[in-house]
Amino acid sequence: MDGSAETPEPGVGSERATPWGGEEPPAVHLEGITKRFPGVVANDDVDFTVDRGTIHALVGENGAGKTTLMNVLYGLYEPTEGTVWIDGEARTFSDPADAMAVGIGMIHQHFMLVDTMSVAENVVLGDEPKKWGGLATDTARAVEETRELAERYGFDIDPTERIEEISVGEQQRVEILKTLYRGAEILILDEPTAVLTPQEVEVLFEVLEGLIAEGKTIIFITHKLGEALRAADEISVLRDGRLVGTVPAGEATEERLASMMVGRDVILEIEKPPSTRGSALLRVDDLVVEDDRGVTAVDGVGFAVHTGEIFGIAGVDGNGQTELVEAITGLRPVESGTITFDGLEVTGTPRRRRIEAGMAYIAEDRQKRSLVMEYDLRRNGLLGCQRLPAFSDGWRIDWGRTDAYVEDVITEYDVRPPNAAAIARSLSGGNQQKFIVGREFERDPSLVVAAQPTRGVDIGSIEFIHDRLLELRSDGKAILLVSSKLDEVSQLSDRLAVMHDGEVVAVVDPESVTEEELGLLMAGERPTGLDTEEARTERTETPRGGGGGGR
Amino acid sequence: MSDWRERADASLDWLVEATAVQRIAVSSMALVFAVLVGAVLVFVSGFVADCPDPFILLPGLGYGCYNPVEVYATMVGGAFGSFAALGRTLQEMTLLLFTGLSVAVAFRAGLFNIGTQGQMVLGALAAALTVLSLGEVVPENALGTLIVIPAGVVVGAFVGGIWGMIPGLMKAYADAHEVITTIMLNFVAMGIAFWLVQNHVGNLETDSVQTHTVPEVARLPATIDGSRFSLYALVGALVAAVGIYFLYTRTVLGYELRTSGVQEAAAEYGGVNAKRNIVTSMTLSGALGGVAGAIYVTMVQYRWQDGIPPLGFDGIAVSILAGNNPLGVIPAALLFGGMKSGSVAIDLSLGVPNELVEVLRGLIILFIAMPELFRMIGKRAGYGGEPVATDGGERDGKSAGGEVKPEPDGDGADRSARDGSDGGEGR
Repeated sequence: MDGSAETPEPGVGSERATPWGGEEPPAVHLEGITKRFPGVVANDDVDFTVDRGTIHALVGENGAGKTTLMNVLYGLYEPTEGTVWIDGEARTFSDPADAMAVGIGMIHQHFMLVDTMSVAENVVLGDEPKKWGGLATDTARAVEETRELAERYGFDIDPTERIEEISVGEQQRVEILKTLYRGAEILILDEPTAVLTPQEVEVLFEVLEGLIAEGKTIIFITHKLGEALRAADEISVLRDGRLVGTVPAGEATEERLASMMVGRDVILEIEKPPSTRGSALLRVDDLVVEDDRGVTAVDGVGFAVHTGEIFGIAGVDGNGQTELVEAITGLRPVESGTITFDGLEVTGTPRRRRIEAGMAYIAEDRQKRSLVMEYDLRRNGLLGCQRLPAFSDGWRIDWGRTDAYVEDVITEYDVRPPNAAAIARSLSGGNQQKFIVGREFERDPSLVVAAQPTRGVDIGSIEFIHDRLLELRSDGKAILLVSSKLDEVSQLSDRLAVMHDGEVVAVVDPESVTEEELGLLMAGERPTGLDTEEARTERTETPRGGGGGGR
Repeated sequence: MSDWRERADASLDWLVEATAVQRIAVSSMALVFAVLVGAVLVFVSGFVADCPDPFILLPGLGYGCYNPVEVYATMVGGAFGSFAALGRTLQEMTLLLFTGLSVAVAFRAGLFNIGTQGQMVLGALAAALTVLSLGEVVPENALGTLIVIPAGVVVGAFVGGIWGMIPGLMKAYADAHEVITTIMLNFVAMGIAFWLVQNHVGNLETDSVQTHTVPEVARLPATIDGSRFSLYALVGALVAAVGIYFLYTRTVLGYELRTSGVQEAAAEYGGVNAKRNIVTSMTLSGALGGVAGAIYVTMVQYRWQDGIPPLGFDGIAVSILAGNNPLGVIPAALLFGGMKSGSVAIDLSLGVPNELVEVLRGLIILFIAMPELFRMIGKRAGYGGEPVATDGGERDGKSAGGEVKPEPDGDGADRSARDGSDGGEGR
């Protein structure tokens, strides 16, 4: 596969002037783009074509070079080699203003809006309609022009509202309006769905279709394959800076795209090796925990996690999972109830004791908790281990053994770049997470608490992390897995608790429960005839008191 | 446009990856350039000044008063030219070592202690009062000195430590930024010390605000004639520098202190009581400021007197020049000390105005600090090292740990973040 480059036809009576030669030039044609940074080739001879009036998805793993390629297109970087053709004309941009001048606009993932200003003020910012001979901004006209623009493209937005008062999805539409206001014909969106709720994603896709109808051209970067298939006309896949191929969305499948992205077949279905469930290692009884504002976030939760099993907790984010995990790992005080770990009550013991007792923890917010972003990997490898006998005598650090440990984690868990001196911040999300997983797992823990272990991680790393979790399970470790990805928890878990509003609604068998039933449970309702754990323990022999869910 | 940018990129990469030897070479080159620029400045200024015996007459320009060679020669001579000069330099260096270390300890732990001056002022007063009262009861011999001076240093460290602990507590438990609180506490410290000395503990027989002079037994013996420099104090300072270096590179406590200051949430994750460690770092920093005060009293001034020189503030510059490295503080303090005694010599022997000498000193500091500054900026922006995550690394909006450090954005690795503009920005 070498992309979808049109067959070049020789120009009439002269040497080839353009790479296509057909009647209508494509809106965007990147020809042989190579971009090198010191020590790294971010894009390697990429040919990339987008026809006018289409939606094109650019997919790839973290670090595949998607953002770099788009930065070349919109003038932030000059390519080391290669040519940018816009509407059939070769262009060189020295900055984004040049690209904007020929109608290319970019909508970043992190919005660049002034919170305290109105929608209209943000839209016209830097290009305001003036009055009094250019002395003041004509706010009335700004509002009017914004309203007209919004109506033309069918955006439901009030130009007079302030940014801080509107939702994230609406803020994104303001960003789109901003580029349209400046006359953009080609819009680049960098991971536009990352910050949106599923409903807002739908709205966004409708907005995009409206723009296409008006003759705009759209490129969006994503690593969610389902969305690429759903919204795009064509999909291009980048891997390691190279274009693997461009396929029409109608002919692509998720499996095929995934294998193009990672360069091999990806098993999206997880096969669980057999494992023998042992005794209860972690037991939580009637636990009550408050959140930062002092509101009860976990309300009387009880369950047990056994050795040799993955106990999953599903639920919509913000239903007490975070607080529950922090209470178990020792980062948050408990209001009432008990936590028992390995036969000892640890409800009030400091986190350090729990680490020493063999509790590993993959935190949900890795950039805040699990890694010190300014430290290199060597120093990060010590985080949490610094007082364990293998790493220090409690006073002096044994850097020799720490270095050996970090090297081991880097090789075993395929952390890239394989350099212990690399600063954590410079690693991609997937590699950061692989390093954390390695650090926590190689310490030979007896219990692993994994909160959102694959959030913001690319497909290849997700598969890897899943495999490691299953390996630990086979080794007879106890694993508590918290994830808001429903397919992840239901495929990995042996037993699955569903949390809603601080309570465990039910503990179910993920093999037999249906997605609809899970959806209802996550909304706090109990479907009738559900095969829950309590029901099963009642049916079979006398309960041994283990793993009762809810109350 | 891209040409200079690529060159700037390459230079920053080089700076970030430079070895220690290369960095020292760069700093030395910077020193040479600072002297050259300063020389031109001195030379030119000479033509607008009046003096009885100009050293040069340029046709059309008039008389030039200052000879740059002579100025710099005097500066070097005043710093290192004689034993007495060297003594004055080392005396200044010793004090700056303590204050520089005080600042560096906090910096290393991700905290900005601007309050070293206040900690030093109170530490000095506490030490002065201690040695004054102890000096009356101990025998007047070496044994007495061996009791009095360590006692003064310990009490100075204790009081300075308490004064550092206060902003530490406010930072850890009330979320009050230490830059603000330490600056404010400087004024409070000076006010308290002034009031105490003027009204209660000072020498009430004089008009000036000062304590009684400490007895001979409470003075550090001068090592070099013509100055009050004491080798014991310098050795103590050097031991402190090496000790702090080891603390932060080799010990669990140092690792935990630093992590707590750099990223509190991550320290907690690592099983560290981050809040307590923030207090510990600030206390340690304050204690070093207090020691500086005690040494000032027992080695230089022999009493507490209003108008203690701004050694605490100079310590900030020393620490930054040293890249906040406890070992780097040693040469940085030597440079500052040398320039201090050198400029005093210029002031005394040449007619060059003090302000101009200050400019020369400023140039040297500016030039030497600049490569280190760019190095720090480059490191923050993700230059150097192995391949950079070209996709911008992790972009999970909400998880950027940026609020932990006073730094614009958590998205450092992404080179596009440096240009952080959007397409529609019309300037």
